[in-house]
Order: sequence, then structure tokens, then C-alpha cells
Amino acid sequence: MFSRTALARAFAIPTMEQPCAAAARFSVARACLHSSAASPAPAPAPTTQTQTQTTHPESPLSATPRAQTSTPAPTPSSSTIDFKKPVAPTFTAPLQLTPTLLAQLPQLTTQQPHYIISHLHDRPYLLTQGDSIRLPFLMPKVKPGDILRFNRASVLGSRDFSLKGAPYVDERLYECRVRVVGVDSEPLRVKEKTKRRRRHVQMIRSKHKYTLLRVMDVKIKTAEELLREGAVVA
Amino acid sequence: MPVQGIRTVTTARNGVGAFILQCKQLDFHYCDWAGSSRGMVSFLKHHLPSFAKANPQIEIRVSPRPHKHPVIKGHYINGREKAICVRNLEPEQIFNKANLLKAASGEKTKRTKKPITSLNESVRGIWDPFHGGLKSV
Repeated sequence: MFSRTALARAFAIPTMEQPCAAAARFSVARACLHSSAASPAPAPAPTTQTQTQTTHPESPLSATPRAQTSTPAPTPSSSTIDFKKPVAPTFTAPLQLTPTLLAQLPQLTTQQPHYIISHLHDRPYLLTQGDSIRLPFLMPKVKPGDILRFNRASVLGSRDFSLKGAPYVDERLYECRVRVVGVDSEPLRVKEKTKRRRRHVQMIRSKHKYTLLRVMDVKIKTAEELLREGAVVA
Repeated sequence: MPVQGIRTVTTARNGVGAFILQCKQLDFHYCDWAGSSRGMVSFLKHHLPSFAKANPQIEIRVSPRPHKHPVIKGHYINGREKAICVRNLEPEQIFNKANLLKAASGEKTKRTKKPITSLNESVRGIWDPFHGGLKSV
């Protein structure tokens, strides 16, 4: 018969579910950009939906892990990676920015509420910050509290401006994080199946499960950030 | 001066900043005598300590419920509760049921057509025939 207070609960969650810090992730991304710039085109770029488990940068409870892991570690050592952490994306070339994009990007980034049309299994989801998503399927290998980063988007936009990809926008231009909130189910469906000339009705029962997500942030990176992270103007 | 309620400035959106698991308490009920509780008793003896250790944010209560089938009850932050009867189930199946209750949101199950629900205003606004792209006849 255990009884734990809400305070203990509040302290226990971030330490359990936020093992790695945002600082490490940013440095990893930057290292990828630099290394890819040095060695041109060793392998094709991955196009799968990667699931990244990182802390939210603005999360108030992530202050201590960030401070602990702020030691320079461009590549995470294999001992600290838990089995769920996906491999960092390897880019074959630095992000190419055209001068027109660089000139027009501030208009999009400064107009604040942003939306993103993110694609998951080739289905579009128009997301803004704080939206809750009930995916039409049960996402495997995630548990409540995990943070995913969506890296497929066709449109980034604000009220007056939008950046369309052909067909997708480069994933280094934005950050869209969602948190796995839980698993929901639906009421039992009963399908009556009949055969001809047979007085028998078959009742098929099904009850599907769905993953609930919450959009943590939709952030479009500014031109300065992109240039700092190794983007090349061409 | 009349009593005034505190006006809500923001709405709670779990997971945007901090994340709190919706399941706050799990009750495990068993019977010492009945055979339908055999799997439950085994689960309580062998699996529950590790389950409780892995989920420190959930309050776990174990209590006997004589002459009844074993039940797991989940209590949620929104005030609802979910009960699952686990009669004649193996400990592994009971473990899966406990995980189901843990991950559930506590809401009443309903069928939804739209995947996204948003509290935000439309980013691009509502279309208006009198603004932008006016066509002259």
C-alpha cells in the first residue's frame, strides 16, 4: 500500500523521462552539419520520420539536466544513449538557402502564431502550438511522456506568409515537437456479418486504440539561427 | 463588494510545458480464496513491486475484496475512474491491463472523426470577401 504525494510525482517525472538535454541535441545537430559539410555525399539522406526524445527547451524542469550535460560533447557516447534514442539524422550537405529565401524569411519568422502542415505516414496534420492530436492509429514503441520531433512538413506558415516545400520543407528550417500524452480507445464497434440463406449473424467486435499527442512547439528558425547552424547561402 | 471568481487567464494544456500523467491512482482488488484471483495474487506478489517502482507518479493501493472477482481500478486527474475486471487472467495479462490503465487519458471513450482539436484561433483568419484579392467586374 503505497501512497505518494503529488509533489513526489512532480519531481519524479522529469528526472525519469528527460534523460538527455537540449544542449546536447543542438550540439549534435550542429556537428552533423559540419561533418557533412566536410565530407560531401557519402550516403543518401534519410527520409523517414525520426522520433527524437529530447527535452523541451522552454521546459522549466529541464534546468538541472541541461546544466549537467552542458559539457562539450559533440557526439554522444554510446553508453549514455538509451535504446530508444534514435540515431541523429545524417545530412549529406549543408542546408542551402537562396538569397530570396534569406531575404523573405524574417517576414515569416517575425509574424508570431505559426502553423505547420506536418506529414505522418503521408497524412497531413495542420498543427499549431498546444494542439492535441489523436492519431488514427496506435503508435508503437512510445510511452506517455515521450517527445517526438516531426521532421516532415509541406507548409510552414503564419497569417500572411507561408513557406511551401516541393514536396517537403527541409527539416532543418523548423522545429516541431510533440509529446505523447497517452493512449485512448474508442467505444466497442460491433459489425453484424451475415451470409445468404443462413440464419446466423456473426458479430464482429473491434476496439481500436489511438495515440494522443500534444504539440509542444512550432518554431520556425530565423535566418541568423540557420546561418549559425551551418546553412550555406547559394 | 460582491465576491468575484478568479478569471482564468490560461487553459491547462498538459504536455505543452510540463507533462503530468493522467492516471493518479491504481487500486488492485483481489480475493484470497477465489480461484479467479489466482493470477492477480501472483501478480501482486511478483510483478507489482517492480511496476510500482517503475511508476512512482502513480499511487498504488492493494486491498482485498472477498468473494468477488479481482479488479483493477484507475483513478484519473479529471475525476473519472476506469475499472477492469481481471478474473482468471494470467499475471502477464494483468500487467498489460495495468499498463493500459496507466496510459489512458481517463476520458470517456468516444469516436472522433477529426484527429486534431485546437484551442487556438485560426492562424490565417477567416476568409473575407471584402479584403485582399478583390476582383473588379
